[in-house]
Amino acid sequence: MIKINNLNFGYRKNQLLFKNMSMQLSTGHIYGLLGKNGAGKSTLLKNIAGLVYADSGSMDVMGYDPSKRQPALLAEICFIPEEFYLPSVKIDAFVKANAGFYPNFDHPYFTALLAEFDIPVAQKLIDMSYGQKKKVIIAFGLATQAKLVIMDEPTNGLDIPSKAQFRKIMASALTDDRCIIISTHQVRDLDNLIDTVIMLDENKVALKASVEEITNKLCFKRVKEIDDKVIYAEPSLAGYNAVLQNFHDEDSKLDLELLFNAVLAEKNKLKPIFN
Amino acid sequence: MNNTFSIQRFGLLLKRQWLEFGKIYLITLAVALGVIITFYSFATWNTIFEQRLFSERLLNFREPLFLIFGFLFITVIASSYFAHLGQKSKAIIDLMIPASTFEKFLTGVLFTAVLSTVSFLVIFYLTDLAFVSKLRSIFHNVDTATSFRDSYGKVVETRDNLAFFFTRNYPKEFTSVFLLTPVFVTSIFLLGSIYFNKFHYIKTAISVMIFSGIWTYIIVKTGQTMFDNKIPINTGNGENISKGLIELGMFSLLLLLTAIFWVITYVRLKEKQV
Amino acid sequence: MEFRDNKAIYLQIAEYVCEHILLGKWKGDEKVPSVREMAVELEVNPNTVMRTYELLQTKNIINNKRGIGFFVDDDAIANVKSYRKAQFMDDELPVVFRNMYLLNIGFDELQDRYNTFVKENFNS
Repeated sequence: MIKINNLNFGYRKNQLLFKNMSMQLSTGHIYGLLGKNGAGKSTLLKNIAGLVYADSGSMDVMGYDPSKRQPALLAEICFIPEEFYLPSVKIDAFVKANAGFYPNFDHPYFTALLAEFDIPVAQKLIDMSYGQKKKVIIAFGLATQAKLVIMDEPTNGLDIPSKAQFRKIMASALTDDRCIIISTHQVRDLDNLIDTVIMLDENKVALKASVEEITNKLCFKRVKEIDDKVIYAEPSLAGYNAVLQNFHDEDSKLDLELLFNAVLAEKNKLKPIFN
Repeated sequence: MNNTFSIQRFGLLLKRQWLEFGKIYLITLAVALGVIITFYSFATWNTIFEQRLFSERLLNFREPLFLIFGFLFITVIASSYFAHLGQKSKAIIDLMIPASTFEKFLTGVLFTAVLSTVSFLVIFYLTDLAFVSKLRSIFHNVDTATSFRDSYGKVVETRDNLAFFFTRNYPKEFTSVFLLTPVFVTSIFLLGSIYFNKFHYIKTAISVMIFSGIWTYIIVKTGQTMFDNKIPINTGNGENISKGLIELGMFSLLLLLTAIFWVITYVRLKEKQV
Repeated sequence: MEFRDNKAIYLQIAEYVCEHILLGKWKGDEKVPSVREMAVELEVNPNTVMRTYELLQTKNIINNKRGIGFFVDDDAIANVKSYRKAQFMDDELPVVFRNMYLLNIGFDELQDRYNTFVKENFNS
């Protein structure tokens, strides 16, 4: 679905954010895009959506070059930015004005999503809270039936019940012909939802692996003391939370936060394991 | 799917942009209407309600009002059209709308060059119609527009000194240039609205002043170096160049400049990144 | 459903399904929730549920009727038990053995304890 080839990108010359980045993303997955602040999560998403243009390299989304901003591709992209603006109209006016651009827009589904999210339908968009507006554009974006769903920090601003609703909705939104990319630093909100982890660090993809692959290769568990088998560990109440190489086919639960810190701290030890 | 232009998508985009832009547009239009009515009321109040004598000078405010306010109105509209693209949060939503860049650009041209000019002409025409009709109903004696031959056989027209604004000021010469001027002016301010991220109007106005200053300077200087201390040989031949040719020249120049500004605007829109 | 920290999600979902079968909530030849329904209910990725269902299929606990969905196998209860037994033997028993060895606990002592436990909990 998405082929990124030798992408170079920088907001300023001589200061590249991505250096020769290559990656392929396919349908039927929810990708979790992780990275430190400023690692370029939002920028990568904008590159994919064609909101910014690469300095060099190629970007192929469903056979289109996103930087050309062709309507045929735009109608297949649902982009939920972190900051957004909605006009001061009611929801049905908003839908009337925008839904026509999406040939497959599903009105009953949209209504069902609004109900699931508890959105007061008669209220003007501008009078809604940030979280409510966010839920409206998430509902609208999913109802467009776009094949590529890109979300930048979608759980920011959602209250606790909304986060659970969001997870349910995303779980049902994943179909075989859809590709969902979610950037987040609130990993706890989403860790059971994503099936493939993409981690950005130091101008490139530091890790791209499915949860299955990660837990096949690594083992996340509590240990009493650190020995040389431990790749990375953080102290906890009962000893250490550690990342070890998975030699004995142990099944463990992926701890995204621990993995994230391990990738940042122990790049050199992890690299050979995943190649 | 045609990725450059589809009439159905263009229609949708016009409707959508009206939802976004219409409110600012209507408010500006209402303000303009208010100002025009205020001017007319002030000027004609005494005459209409206190039966003072009508003087031709009474309506002399119309020309400057039309020119200055018309200019302000269309430039304000034009310089606010793409202004929101300077804000990240609004720009993202707009750029992700599944319409082609060309359609988005064309919508901008339609709203600024065509709609704003036409609507200003309409409100000015209607206000003028209302007030002048009232005046004409009071002062029947000025409502005369006759022509006759005097004793030498020459046609004499008596002027109607209570004429409607557009009857009196309809450009009899250089019509095409007059019609193109608002389009040209809006093209500059439309470009300004996408070129600058903030304070679009004032920055565009300043840029226009600086540019026209530089151009005037260059033309005057080259004229001086080329023609100073030289004698024009075929004096009095100016009449040879017909007015039609001058009009065509001016029209072409304006059209060329307008086209250039539009092309730059289109390219800026295409290259817009957030 | 609250997930625990130490076990892979897909295995926790497998346990959840097994539990439902053992408790008789889902009976033989009945349809189990679709991958999507299960994913929505548990707020997890559908691919994870798919992995669970594939595992349960290889253990003959559920079976896939093409085009209709997943159904509880006729021998599901027996198969759940043998699956659970294998898990107990492989994963939990070594821990118990280790503690027995370290703390010098004899099998006789354990036998008494076991009998009392069964009497108290299941033979009442």
